[in-house]
Amino acid sequence: MMGSRAVCSRIGLWYRKGSSFGSSKVVIVGNNNKNELRRCSTTTARSSPGPPDVVRLAETARISLTPTEVEEFAPKIGQVIDWFGQLQDVDLDSIEPAIRADTEGNNLRDDIPETFENRGAMIAAVPSYEEPYIRVPKVLNKE
Amino acid sequence: MLSTLHPPRSLSSRFPRYISSLPVTLCTLTAQSPPSQILSIRHALLSRHVTATQLAESYLSRLRLTEPHLRSFLHLSDAVSQQASRIDELIAGNEQVGPLAGVLVAVKDNICTADMPSTGGSRVLEGYRPPFDATAVRKIKELGGIVVGKTNLDEFGMGSTTEGSAFQVTANPWDVSRVPGGSSGGSAAAVSARQCVVSLGSDTGGSVRQPASFCGVVGLKPTYGRVSRYGLMAYASSLDVIGCFGSSIADTGILLHAISGHDRLDATSSKREVPDFASQFASTDFLESKPLKGLRVGLIRETLDDGVDSGVISAIRGAALHLEDLGCSVSEISLPSFSLGLPAYYILAASESSSNLSRYDGVRYGNQVTAGELTSLYGDSRSKGFGPEVKRRILTGTYALSAGYYDAYYKRAQQVRTIIRKSFKAALDENDILISPAAPSAAYKIGEKKDDPLAMYAGDIMTVNVNLAGLPALVLPCGFVEGGVAGLPVGLQMIGAAFDEEKLLKVGHIFEQTLQNCRFVPPLIEDDSAW
Repeated sequence: MMGSRAVCSRIGLWYRKGSSFGSSKVVIVGNNNKNELRRCSTTTARSSPGPPDVVRLAETARISLTPTEVEEFAPKIGQVIDWFGQLQDVDLDSIEPAIRADTEGNNLRDDIPETFENRGAMIAAVPSYEEPYIRVPKVLNKE
Repeated sequence: MLSTLHPPRSLSSRFPRYISSLPVTLCTLTAQSPPSQILSIRHALLSRHVTATQLAESYLSRLRLTEPHLRSFLHLSDAVSQQASRIDELIAGNEQVGPLAGVLVAVKDNICTADMPSTGGSRVLEGYRPPFDATAVRKIKELGGIVVGKTNLDEFGMGSTTEGSAFQVTANPWDVSRVPGGSSGGSAAAVSARQCVVSLGSDTGGSVRQPASFCGVVGLKPTYGRVSRYGLMAYASSLDVIGCFGSSIADTGILLHAISGHDRLDATSSKREVPDFASQFASTDFLESKPLKGLRVGLIRETLDDGVDSGVISAIRGAALHLEDLGCSVSEISLPSFSLGLPAYYILAASESSSNLSRYDGVRYGNQVTAGELTSLYGDSRSKGFGPEVKRRILTGTYALSAGYYDAYYKRAQQVRTIIRKSFKAALDENDILISPAAPSAAYKIGEKKDDPLAMYAGDIMTVNVNLAGLPALVLPCGFVEGGVAGLPVGLQMIGAAFDEEKLLKVGHIFEQTLQNCRFVPPLIEDDSAW
């Protein structure tokens, strides 16, 4: 699991202790009745969200991992994420994030629908098709 | 058959082993290999010295002989002879044929081709037939090119060796116990072994340039936006480009010209005019003695540090001397924050890939695992379809993008990207091109780095910053290190300003045509009389 979560007060910022990197930045989930999710950021130079919970990540990413895979992957993923941590030491204040390299302006085409010319091949690629539906199994509500 | 296309070679047929104390030197200009296979083919076809059918058969027979050793291809076209015949009909009827008529082109399997499977190197798309051709493929076909097959790659472009392919490991034609590099290993090996004339690859963090270096061929990564990405299976959308391989600069430039240009189907493709990259590849017989006089070259100091093979450093320094002989002024420059590029790249690439690969859910295409319930359908189809490296990168990216972690990772990586763009821009204001190795070593053994992801990532240090900045870069073979039967090739990376592929090709062409005593033909096909 991700370790203890801090409770957010309406005003302050809270830190999660006990991670391997020292002072940390945190996901804060409000525990009030409205169940608000608040995101707070800090300006400390070194922050870390804690070790990865591979089981939970796999659920989010919709990949069914075997227990063996969880065991094998966790240290490798952890190692890579630790290695990412070196960016925490860099002073990046006042640097604009770059979405991508190019600087060309608006390159969008007109918002006019066009019919794809090879629909037959697209439909042929569908694993489970029952005209006109793409067939999937039922959705099970876990809650 | 092919030997009729070339003038007799005056170079020794046994190419020298590279000895680190002897840099490759500039010799007197003598009759040498023609600068362009593509131009030679065109000449031979139009003057009726050879037919497209004969030419195709010659390549196919070499392909059949070498494939069991190399495994460059995942699929081979069964329509090559038919397409070659069609070209012969057109020529016989004195009709126009395109500049790539009769040229066999291999295409990396993460680039969609409607008439052949496109798997991305993954079980999740095993057997998948796209309903369209990628724009780059369509353009090649429109110009008369023949797609000979789809080449092997690390799954979805994630890897540097092709060991990450779900299907097979490609071998390096210079030493079949070594990797060809990756992720475009199949495309590089195919050109290196002359199984085809040119090939397409993709480059997100070096996946064209590093295999070009390992396989002793030319690899070009265009500026982001120069070539349409429509039909390229997306790995990291802000970094991916389609790139070219050839056995010469001229061939690579001609292929680049064929596939470049604005595409309304790719919102990130540039509207900038495409210069005629092909027109400058004249013979070098009448070069002045200092053809690159005035060109300012910056050698990136951070790429020659500890951790780089001494043989590679020698080869690059030798290349720098060669450039000076040609009239360049070469100076060492420093790029601030160079080493930050690697973690920044992997954060961005993993994060973007976790989003891009979410489409492989077994519902609309690809392989599906039957399940009683939707979430299991997704989970099991993806689990069965993806290999371990892909799964790990998706999970890592999922982590980096998790709520609240965006600032810690993705945003910081974007900020590092800004720093790196600026530092390249500053360096390219002072220099025409920058040079460095393409990789810290020559090709290593198959299996050597497979189990250590960080060791494999470390090898990308020379290449990722160029993707972060979106700049064009060219890798061409410049020397050898010891290893294998006859040495292992080393590539020189040349980096240019945005959209300045023309300058890179010009410099590369002159460098290549004046580099004597250095034939980059792997021992595997040395006996073939055509070479």
